[in-house]
Order: sequence, then structure tokens, then C-alpha cells
Amino acid sequence: MDSHEVAALIKKHVNDIRIVNDRCLFATSDKQRCGDVLLTLKGRGVTHISTITGVDRGDVVEVIYHFDCRPAQLNLKIPLPKDDLRILTITDFFPGAILYERDLMEMLGVKVEGHPDPRKLFLPDDWPEGEYPLRKEWREKSK
Amino acid sequence: MTFVVPIGPQHPALKEPEFFRFEVKGEEIVDVDIHLGYAHRGIEEALSRRNYKHNIYLSERICGICNVVHTTTYCQAVEQLAGVEPPERAKYIRAIIMELERIHSHLLWLGIAAHQIGFNTLFMLAWRDREYVMDLREMISGGRVHSATNTIGGVRRDVKTEHVPTILHGLEKLEQSTKYYINLFGSDRTILARCTNLGVLSKKDAIKFCAVGPLARASDVKTDIRRDDPYGAYDALSFNVVIEREGDVWAKGMVRLREILESIRIVRQALKEMPGGPIRTRVSLQIPPNETVERTEAPRGELFYYIRSNGTDTPERVRVRTPTYGNFASMKSMFVGGTVAEIPIVMWSIDPCFGCNDRVTLVDSRTDKTRVVSFDELRRWRK
Amino acid sequence: MMEVVNFVINSLVFPGLLFASLVGLFYVGIDRKVTGHMQHRIGPPIWQEYLDVGKLLSKEDITPGAAQSFIFNIVPLVSLGAIVTVMLFLPVTSAQPALTSVADLIVIIYLLNIPAICVMLGGYSSGSPFGALGAGRHVVQLFSYEFVFILAIIAVVARVGSLSLGTVVDFQAQQGWLVLDWRLLPAVIAALIAAQGKLLRVPFDIPEAESEIVHGALTEYSGPKLAIWRLAYDIETIVVAGLLAALFFGGPTTYVIGGTQIPGIVDFLIKTLAIVLLATTLRNIMARLRIDQALKFYWSFAALLAIISLVLVLAVP
Repeated sequence: MDSHEVAALIKKHVNDIRIVNDRCLFATSDKQRCGDVLLTLKGRGVTHISTITGVDRGDVVEVIYHFDCRPAQLNLKIPLPKDDLRILTITDFFPGAILYERDLMEMLGVKVEGHPDPRKLFLPDDWPEGEYPLRKEWREKSK
Repeated sequence: MTFVVPIGPQHPALKEPEFFRFEVKGEEIVDVDIHLGYAHRGIEEALSRRNYKHNIYLSERICGICNVVHTTTYCQAVEQLAGVEPPERAKYIRAIIMELERIHSHLLWLGIAAHQIGFNTLFMLAWRDREYVMDLREMISGGRVHSATNTIGGVRRDVKTEHVPTILHGLEKLEQSTKYYINLFGSDRTILARCTNLGVLSKKDAIKFCAVGPLARASDVKTDIRRDDPYGAYDALSFNVVIEREGDVWAKGMVRLREILESIRIVRQALKEMPGGPIRTRVSLQIPPNETVERTEAPRGELFYYIRSNGTDTPERVRVRTPTYGNFASMKSMFVGGTVAEIPIVMWSIDPCFGCNDRVTLVDSRTDKTRVVSFDELRRWRK
Repeated sequence: MMEVVNFVINSLVFPGLLFASLVGLFYVGIDRKVTGHMQHRIGPPIWQEYLDVGKLLSKEDITPGAAQSFIFNIVPLVSLGAIVTVMLFLPVTSAQPALTSVADLIVIIYLLNIPAICVMLGGYSSGSPFGALGAGRHVVQLFSYEFVFILAIIAVVARVGSLSLGTVVDFQAQQGWLVLDWRLLPAVIAALIAAQGKLLRVPFDIPEAESEIVHGALTEYSGPKLAIWRLAYDIETIVVAGLLAALFFGGPTTYVIGGTQIPGIVDFLIKTLAIVLLATTLRNIMARLRIDQALKFYWSFAALLAIISLVLVLAVP
């Protein structure tokens, strides 16, 4: 699928779509409709998730899922408010995301609900609770 | 009765520190658990605290072996953010150096794989031939390993006309020895005994766990970013995507060895078709708020960069997903059911690069602490 | 009185500890140098093995806290003692060994097993998972090569009709080398394969496969104790080579070339060196097998060779 086909496919589940070129597009959705997008993609044979990125944007944490729709790269953004950092796991649809979600949990403090193995991945086991190294406030603290 | 064989953080089978807990019953592996993070340097956070120029050199140091592909991905992403296109000649030079890097990485893989199965002669010979590539890279870029060739908007050094015959001669020698190794890898009885039907990753699992690179290609998944999402000069270059069907260690090795031949082809073609002209355009590095993703095919598989700019000369967020990180999810299905003797070669069959893998933020003082944890664990098992 | 002095000299100086260690270390040095050249490297100097053992001997003696210290400390010495004793039973200068008994081949077979058993005990008593795994593999490997080795020796014994190594050498002096006897040729190949396993060389270096289980049973050993292990291993190299030379290649023979008499010891050294170099070549052209593959290989292919040889010796006059 190229960018335009992907855009047509997920149009009704997302808020806005920005098509960069034939092989790259960004889309923004929300927590409730995220599952619908995943189901639609899965239904069209998308199996590869490149990674999950978390970006701290001040009052929201943006979770970006990077799907490989061969050849188009769909970057699906889900903004989460900082006082409610919870999202459902996508490992039921994309088992390859298991490590990326663990990474997301420990680095940005996004609670991934229903994750099969929510232990620390990179950080040591005795890392203090509530410290998330990729958050903006952590950067202020570590200066 | 099961007992635990700790592999790591320091172990001869691992060339870098990482910790794997293998639960074994006699010689059979029943479970494996991965503890990452022993080589954390906090590079993602460091990248977002330095300006775009400094970051070229920082991204080069994410991984020693595949440093050119890291800088290429980074530079291409920043070029996209800034909305500039590097000159054609620069794209070809990048392709040449990246393919030389692939050759050197795969020969390095062959050497260590041979060492893991106790075939030290092949190890030494493969690394002797790897020196040809290193010499070529040194001649072109000035650095044997860290080439420091890429810059935002092009490359810093040109491939000179007088270099071309030397490169072609070096490729000739490499092609000969690679053909010999392919023959050897496919016919030597002891290699076959140690590599076939081991650490099998089925096509289903490879797709399910999002395997990338040679690991996926050895399981009959035809994926190659150079072909799927061509970048730089790869649009104009022709090559085959090498696949094998078996999914075992042997297939993973064979894919890599045959890829060397493809890379040699690409370099020859690029040298022939390389256009003249400038090698670099100037780029203003005050980049307006924007975001981009960039994917390339590193020697180990899909390399992924996400960069968000914020109007200053410093990126707001850089996310790096290295191929090894993408391949760890497939690991369990390759190990469970195998034997202890298979651990080193199966582990090496994914060509793990822990330096690449562990690049997410961590404070330095903390790394000491993690080390203590697993030494305790080691001690517990000695009592 | 004279006998006691003789025995002490035999066991400590010649052909015992001193001679065996000097030659053994030298041979392993040659082996490492040749390996280096085969692998297109320069390789260590030939005397490197002396330096290594010397360095280890000068280091601090450490016993890990988790080890069963008595067994852990005693087994290297037992192993070295056993292997030096075999040296006394080998024909080194002439057909007559320093010590003789009616059936010295049986004594040699027993004594040659002691180092392997000691390595196992050392591994199990070291309290390390790598040691235990290495020891376990050692047991399996012992059961695979030993059967083949003994069968090959029985074939020789059946041919010569004596259990005494001296008689075997005398027999060859009159009838020609046993390796030239077509009925014994399969047994020679089987014995060489078994020796490769006994000396833990590729493709049978499974019990100490460094990329899998660090250094196997010897992982926890360091300093002087490791030096003694190294010494025992190096002497085992020359002992096994010497035994093969005596069994199949005529043993030490004295020649007269141009009026000068060449002593048997020179012949012994040449023959053992040739066998060591053959083993070196084998270990450099192969990859390591897995323990189950090695077991299968020994019990099917190698054992078959030895049995064929034995049957031929018994059936064909």
C-alpha cells in the first residue's frame, strides 16, 4: 500500500493525516480509536511494526507507532495527557512490539495495560519508582 | 532438575557485555531470559542535547561496525527535515561506503561464527580477507572503521579517479575469497553438522516477531529496505534480495555470504555509473519545527531513525531503533528446545550488536549498580 | 639400593617428569606455532608454552570458596602423577621401558584414564555451573573415545599375542611396522581418531569448548594448579603420541647411519612429533562437533573401524 491507499483506509479512525510523500505519512488518532486503526491495518495484512517512539511534549506524551505497510511507513500518533498516561497493549495484534512497549514503560512512564511481561528492560531492577529518564522534568533534574 | 547457566555479562561467547539467563535441563534449554542495558550510554538523550553538527559524530559512535549506515540515516533524516537534497555524486559515494561496510560486517560475522563452532582457521582466514575491505575504506575515507565521511548535505571526501582501479582490484580478490567461503560453508561436513537445523526461526515467527534484515531473509521473508523503500542512490542501482528458506543458522550465514557478492556488484555498478559534480550542498541548520522518519538497510537489518526538530539548531527528540533491538523478540523461539552447545552460534546467528542495542538513556553511575546485581546472581549459583 | 635410586631418577628425570615436561611443552609450542602458520598468523614463539606454565606457577594460589577444596586441590597432582607414570611404561630409548610388568598395556590404559577422571572430579568439585557442564561432557566423551581406543589396542594385542608393550615393539622390529599390516590399518585410523578425543583437540574439544562453557571443568582453576593441569595435558600429548608410535609405528629403533649410531630416543622424538603434527593438521581443518554428534561418530564410524580390524586379525591368517 502506498501513502494514499493507507490514508484512505484509516481515514475514518483518525483526526488528521499528513502525507509526506508516497512512502511516508503521519496520522494522529486517540486512545479510544487506536484499536480500530490496528484492526483495520491487521485486516489488510500489515504485520511489521518498526518501533514505538515516545515523545514528551510538555503536558502530553505522544506515543508514535511506526508501521511498515510495505512500502508506505505509517506513523500513528496517540497523544496521552500526563495525568492519565495509560494505553492498551498492542502485543495482541503485533507480538513484535513486546520489547518496545517495555522500553516505553520504563523510559517515559506510560503504563501499558495488559502487557504480558511488564518488567524493566534496559534500566536496572532497583531503579527508583516514578523516575523516567526521557521525561522533560527528568532532564531539568539531571542538569 | 533444571539449573541456570548464566551467559554474561562477561562471557567468551559474547563480544560485548550483556546478560542472558538460560535455564537448562541437562543440555537442553527450557527457557531464556534477556537482561539488557550493560552498554547503555544514554545516546538518545545525548542526541537531543547537542546540535545537528555534533550529532553526526555522536550517531557514528552508536555502533562501531555499522557507523556509516548510522550517519547516513541520520544525515538523510536531517536533510529531509531541512528540505534539501544532497548532490547525486554524494549519494553514490554513500552507497559505495555503505556496501563496503556491509562486506566488512558480514566477513566479521563469518569469522566469529567460525570461532563459535570451534573452527579457528576459518576465523583467521575470514578476518585476513576482511583487511582488504578495511584498506579500501581507509583509502576512500581516511578511516579504517570510523569513516567520518558523511555530513549533512553530502559527503566530506570524494572518491578519486586514481582510487577506482585499486578498489576494483580489491573487489576482485574479495569476490574470489567469498566464492570460496560460500563453497566451504555449503560443503564442509563439520560446518554443516553444527549449523543445519539449529536455531530455526520459522517464516511465521519471523513475521510475527517483526524480524528484520538477514534474520528475516533467511526465513524466506523477502524484506530489504534498499528495495522496499529505496533511499539515496539505491533507486538507480540493481541488485537481488538474497533469501534462503530454511531459517536455521546455516541459512542465516548463507544469506550473509551471498549478500557480500551482491554488495560487490553494487559497488562496481556505482563506481561505473557515478555522475560527476559537487559532493556537498550547504544546509542552514536552524531547522523549523518538523518531524521525519528515515529507514535504511544496515548490515544487520532495518535501521530506523525518528527526528523531531523544534526551530533551533538542536533536535527535540531523536529515536533510534537498531536492527539488533528489532531482532531480540525472535530470540526465544530460536533458543528454546535447543542445547547448550548451540547457544553461542545461535546467538551469533542474529549478529547481535549490543552497543547498538543499548543506546537508550541511562546515567553512567547507574551502570555499575546493574553489574553488581548480576554478579550477586553469579555468586549465588556458585554456592 | 641401586633399584631405588634408579626408580627415583627414572620417575623424576628421565623419562619421567623433567624429560616429559620439557618435551611435552616443546611439542605443544610447536603445535601452537604450526597452527599459527596454518591460520596465516605468525603465532607465538615455540618456547611460549614454557613461559605460560612458568608464569602460571608464579601466580597466587586461589581456591574458590564454593569448591570442595580437598578434591579440588588434589586432583591436578594425581593427574600429573598418573600421566608421568605412564611415561615410565613407554619404550622411549629402546624396546625396554623403564618399568615393566607382564601386562603393561592394561596398566597404561588404566593410567591414561586417570587424568580424565581427575578433570571430571575437579569440574564437579569446583562449584561452578560451567565446571559441572564441562565435567558432564567429559564423562560422555570418555565413554565415547575409550571404547574405540581399547578396541584398537586389542586388535594389536590379538595380532602380536602379547599384552606387553616391549614385546609389541620387538615384534615390529622383526616383522615390520604394524601400520603396514593391512588388517590393522582400520585400527590405526580408529586409534588416531580416539587420540584426538583423548587430547581434547578439535573436532573433539567439546568438554572445554571456550565459546560455550568458558573452559569447561577447569574454569575455576588458576595459578599453580592450572599450571599443573597444563603440564599434565602437555605430557599427555607426548604420552599418547608415544603410545601410538610404539603400538603401530615400530617404537624407538636404533639406526646406524654412516658408522654413527643414532640412539632410539631420536627415533622416538621424530615419530611422536610426526603424530603430533598430524593431530595439529586435523584440528585446524575442522569445526567442533556437538557432544551428541561426537558420541554417535565414535560409536558408529570409529568403533566400526576398530571392530573390522579386530575381526580381520582374528579371521584372516
